[in-house]
Amino acid sequence: MASAPSAISFPPATFAKLSPAPFVLAHLKPTSSSQSSTRPSGRSPSEFRSPTINTGSLTHASGSAVVRIGDTAVVCGVRGEILRASDIPHPYTTSGPGDDGSKEIEELGLLIPNLELSTGCSPAHLPGNAPSTLAQSLSQRLLSLLHISKLVDGRELRIEYQAPQTDDEVPDQPSEVVTKAYWALYIDLLFISLDGNPFDAAWAAIIAALRDVRLPNAWWDPDREAVLCSDRVAESKRLNLRGMPIASTFAVFSTANPQRRREEAEIWVLADPDGFEEEQCAETVTIVVAPKQGGKGGVLRIEKSGGGVVGREEMADLISQAEDRWSGWEQVLLQERQ
Amino acid sequence: MTIPTATLSHLHRADGSATYSQGGYTVVAGVNGPVEVQRRDELPEEAAIEVNVRPAVGVGSPKERQLESIIHSTLRHVVLTRNHPRTLIQVTLQVVSTPEDESLLRSTHSLSILPSLLQASILALLSASIPLSATFNAALISLSPSGSLSLNPPSKALADASSVHVFAFSSHGDLVVSESSGCFSVSDWERAHDEARKVCIHGPETETDGAMEVEGEGAQTNLQSFVEKVVAERVEKERYWKDST
Repeated sequence: MASAPSAISFPPATFAKLSPAPFVLAHLKPTSSSQSSTRPSGRSPSEFRSPTINTGSLTHASGSAVVRIGDTAVVCGVRGEILRASDIPHPYTTSGPGDDGSKEIEELGLLIPNLELSTGCSPAHLPGNAPSTLAQSLSQRLLSLLHISKLVDGRELRIEYQAPQTDDEVPDQPSEVVTKAYWALYIDLLFISLDGNPFDAAWAAIIAALRDVRLPNAWWDPDREAVLCSDRVAESKRLNLRGMPIASTFAVFSTANPQRRREEAEIWVLADPDGFEEEQCAETVTIVVAPKQGGKGGVLRIEKSGGGVVGREEMADLISQAEDRWSGWEQVLLQERQ
Repeated sequence: MTIPTATLSHLHRADGSATYSQGGYTVVAGVNGPVEVQRRDELPEEAAIEVNVRPAVGVGSPKERQLESIIHSTLRHVVLTRNHPRTLIQVTLQVVSTPEDESLLRSTHSLSILPSLLQASILALLSASIPLSATFNAALISLSPSGSLSLNPPSKALADASSVHVFAFSSHGDLVVSESSGCFSVSDWERAHDEARKVCIHGPETETDGAMEVEGEGAQTNLQSFVEKVVAERVEKERYWKDST
């Protein structure tokens, strides 16, 4: 520490700026066989950053959460708005009592996630710019994951009305239940700070915020022909989410290049990469698992692109790492609910 | 399984081009490069790659941006970008037609078109003679709720499927793209992976049999042999003036 740098050595920060890839390699490659590889952040390759969650901090949202993983911090606010059935140009027809409402949510677009990176969260994303390709593709991935996971029950978003019985009607024929309106949930995500792995943080924030949602009791008033909401907190209801899917992202750091023979390349799979590591890794893998969903399956989404390192065997290993990560998140999310 | 068709180098103003159609999707790809790059996109040590996906109808949406980012990172992996530093390789993919019954699919469903886009982009890069470290081939697999696999399924089967998988394998045999969505287990994924691998790269047995014995109906088209055949035909056509003398 105290010794003056010699002519050919740099302080770590300068080394990292000048040649980032050798800097990461120098950390990962153990100097002796007894040492294990460590990342520049001090984590081991398979170590995730521990998350912190704070829910209900936004007063004007139906539900909200702030999720922080390392230096990545994201705010998620969920706002419920009423969509009147009469305003829908092509009304949705339910396919019977077995309809679980997931198709309804997709067709009517009742869940609207939007992700904002142009907040000055990192030097790569200037404030006030139009949504970048990254922001748009993250929004799309979140939307499709919301639909695949069937997280929100479409039946809970219906505002139904059953006409009261009148005397002249046949008594044993109950009047039909009509869906007069729907709750549309606007899910807005704002990155305050971005240091790698935006997808995991954003998805966890959505889960935490949806678990925090309280929708006011709403009913159809036939006289005023309008939907009315109760202002009593006691009458408000929470959403019953189905399962708790958790996303885990991995990045592959490899010394492979076209000039080198493929067998000679050294490879590390880094869990939960930070911003600096992400820039040095071309290949990324995102796995979404929800182990308790009906016993069957367990994996909801695998997204891998950018390289050829992770194959059949490696993927199975990453899926089991993602499942371990799931229990870590479950603890944090369940604690927050109390 | 539907038989893919492809045409190479049919656009005269682009450096390389290809049309690829399979399963009702037709994609025209154009490649320009290496060309001059805008200052802000310039990379000092390698070529920048730009991918534009244009839908059949309307303007691009976040769905196209997501497809673009998958294709971009895949092309970054196979193109030898360090051979052309401070240049741009521009890949434009125009979807020309989609299956008639695509409306059965969910509006957010974007995986079914990905294999055609990937296949068209690699053919166009070959046509533009961009130096590549490998080629790749992509396949779409769906798993029905009963657990049966189908390769390049029609839209109806995709809408009912419990999970949908897209795999792309490089010619070295590496898995370069894997996009799966739905509800599935590790063994489901592995079965789909093995099936896709059979279609995307030559097994040792197909190489000994010679390239194309798959003209008969019901026979599986090996995509790697298919790409080789398309390129070989084109090369033969372009060398016709030389060989006939």
